[in-house]
Amino acid sequence: MTRLTRRQLMTLGLGAATATTLAGCATPGMTSVNTAPTLPAAADGKPVTLTYWAWLKDLQAVADIWNAANPHVQVRTVWIPSSGQGGYQKLYTALAAGGGPDLAQIELRAIPEFMLVNGVVDLARYGASGDATTFDPTLWGQVSFSDGVYGIPQDSGPMATFYQTAAFEAVSAKPPTTWTEWAQVAVELRKNKVYIDCFSISDPSSFVAYATQAGAAWLKADTDGWVLNMTDEATLAVARFFDTAIDSDLVTTAFALYSPPWFAAAANGSLASVTDASWADALVEGVANGEGKWRVAPMPRWEHGGYGSSYRGGSTTAVLAHSAHPAEALAFATWLNGSHEGIDALIKQSGIGWSPIKDYIGADRTGASDFFQGQDYNTDVFLPASTEQNDKWQWWPITQQSLNILADEFRRKPSGQTLVDSVAKAEASILTAFRNKGLTIRKGEA
Amino acid sequence: MSSTAQTSEKAGPRTRRRSTPTSRAPWLLLAPFLVVFLLTFILPILAAVGSSFVQVTRKGLFGEAGVSQEFAWFHNYALALQNSSFISSIGRMFLFGIVQVPIMIALATVLAFLLESASAKWPGAFRAAYFLPYGVPGVIATILWTFLYVPGLSPVIDVAKWMGIDVDFLGAGTVLWSIANIVTWSYTGYNMLIIIAQLKSIPGELYEAAHIDGASPWRVARSIQVPLIAPALMLTTVFSIIGTLQLFAEPQVLMSVSPAIDSQYTPNLSAYTTAFAYNDYNVAAAQAVLIALVAFVLSFAFLRLTNRKS
Repeated sequence: MTRLTRRQLMTLGLGAATATTLAGCATPGMTSVNTAPTLPAAADGKPVTLTYWAWLKDLQAVADIWNAANPHVQVRTVWIPSSGQGGYQKLYTALAAGGGPDLAQIELRAIPEFMLVNGVVDLARYGASGDATTFDPTLWGQVSFSDGVYGIPQDSGPMATFYQTAAFEAVSAKPPTTWTEWAQVAVELRKNKVYIDCFSISDPSSFVAYATQAGAAWLKADTDGWVLNMTDEATLAVARFFDTAIDSDLVTTAFALYSPPWFAAAANGSLASVTDASWADALVEGVANGEGKWRVAPMPRWEHGGYGSSYRGGSTTAVLAHSAHPAEALAFATWLNGSHEGIDALIKQSGIGWSPIKDYIGADRTGASDFFQGQDYNTDVFLPASTEQNDKWQWWPITQQSLNILADEFRRKPSGQTLVDSVAKAEASILTAFRNKGLTIRKGEA
Repeated sequence: MSSTAQTSEKAGPRTRRRSTPTSRAPWLLLAPFLVVFLLTFILPILAAVGSSFVQVTRKGLFGEAGVSQEFAWFHNYALALQNSSFISSIGRMFLFGIVQVPIMIALATVLAFLLESASAKWPGAFRAAYFLPYGVPGVIATILWTFLYVPGLSPVIDVAKWMGIDVDFLGAGTVLWSIANIVTWSYTGYNMLIIIAQLKSIPGELYEAAHIDGASPWRVARSIQVPLIAPALMLTTVFSIIGTLQLFAEPQVLMSVSPAIDSQYTPNLSAYTTAFAYNDYNVAAAQAVLIALVAFVLSFAFLRLTNRKS
């Protein structure tokens, strides 16, 4: 009798547990904070504490400047691992659990991904649209989607070419102004067993930047959903160019940018240049015994047209969905990224990338650099580059997955699959990935 | 069934007495364990199984016009199985397991025999030395080995270059075996210890009898030791099969130096990426269930196979 009851009890218990689990296992991110009424700012004098998760170093020192001036809105920073290397994973889990910080560092390209899980607050509802004129229009375009603003731009990465003067002088070459010239210089450098650059088959973000420069805009938001076109002439021309470059052994695919083998090759002079974002200056300065050996030149241009430069990387400060004080959080984010005081402190303490404000590159970024042979490279090279950007490019809700899909195809390059084929195959997979997310997408006309 | 019913009927008055403090004591003492076990083990498994059957649909560009979820039967399992990267990650682990597990178990057995042989010198010190790598966490072990794998940093590659050999530990064809090397280095000592424990439980009379019969050490190993440590070998092999399918830390750390490792290199990496980089918790749950099923089937098949032989 008792034994039977106990078994029954157990079945009942298990059943109840299963039922509650199934009821409780609603997929996270189902409700949108942006359809709920806006939250009012705290009453005057009522102290508010904001938490801010970011991977910028020494960010608390910057926040303390704000804290001293705003005793009733205190900001506490928490360090998280960088972006997809653990930081986003942490943010997503916190959001899924219904928690998370008030503010977080989110890359420009990841903003739509956080929108997909209803993780970020539409700041236009708290008056952020008024700040549009302060910021770089290209960056502002990347955080704005259908009348909403989903993050305050924090930094970006206009691109140029860092090169070792000795390697170029050895073949009496000047920094190339077009990609065709770049290939010619590469041929000369190979005679000295020097590579002009590496082409990362595991991280296609450089390829994306080159395609952006050539004029590509892979994703467009239309009224009936997303429109994808990765096989446009601009992208295919870039893919063909690098297919030839890799096949003729002009670039190496053996390592990725800023990996230990990259630093080793840059230090011993077997890697002559790197075309990358402005924030790469700190990385190039990390090359052993590099002082006085490097200079910066404008990025080579595509001969068929496109833009003078491109960008790689860049972050925002976003207000997360479960914040109880979005109004105060926006005020802090605007001060941090939109004021000269905030930008100067961010550059000094945290070494952020290119300033997101129009016409202000930061006090520490002016003047000659000892490392780069006394060149005033920020004003001379990167400032013009920051204005020659493809403003039609837009990120999309599955950026990281799409880049991984592209990387998985690019990895087949050493075994013979061309980049041109890889782009086409990746496009088909990305269409499927969109649909599997329950999103609407169609293939755009070429 | 009827007999149980009868017994319980007969035992009726006695069972009533069972709800005394003494009969409740074991449950009370077990309660802390059971609560934690239920909350952190059973419930998450049920939640994962539950969410693996759910599908999300979004309206608008980001789901801003409405998100809905519905019961989707095996839709997520179909998606997981259509993902060629996930399938090839399982295939990769098969290849890995077929090569690495036998090598590691053989190595562990040989080390155990050597340390347990009569002529062994300082067996205690060597046992500790062989076991030491197990004390190094997987992430740290991989970082240590990275310095031996990366060109420009690795003395091994430099020495090989002087001898005219070009080695690439991190290429598409080799990095799997570089991982296998780290795993073997980490776990051989641990498996060796389990085998030694079993060797120590072999009664001395057996060795004496073999000695009197004039058996050679080789004969003793083959006819006495190997058959008697079979349970330990089986246990370590099953652990290794499960461990292989759960490979995560080593490839995750090596990823930063080897372009050949993608975000779905092993089944667990694939589930991790799907859940926390792609925010697709439902498909990730389906992947996790599939990984558990494969581990279960493999372990079960191995046990059946070895049992039939004996």
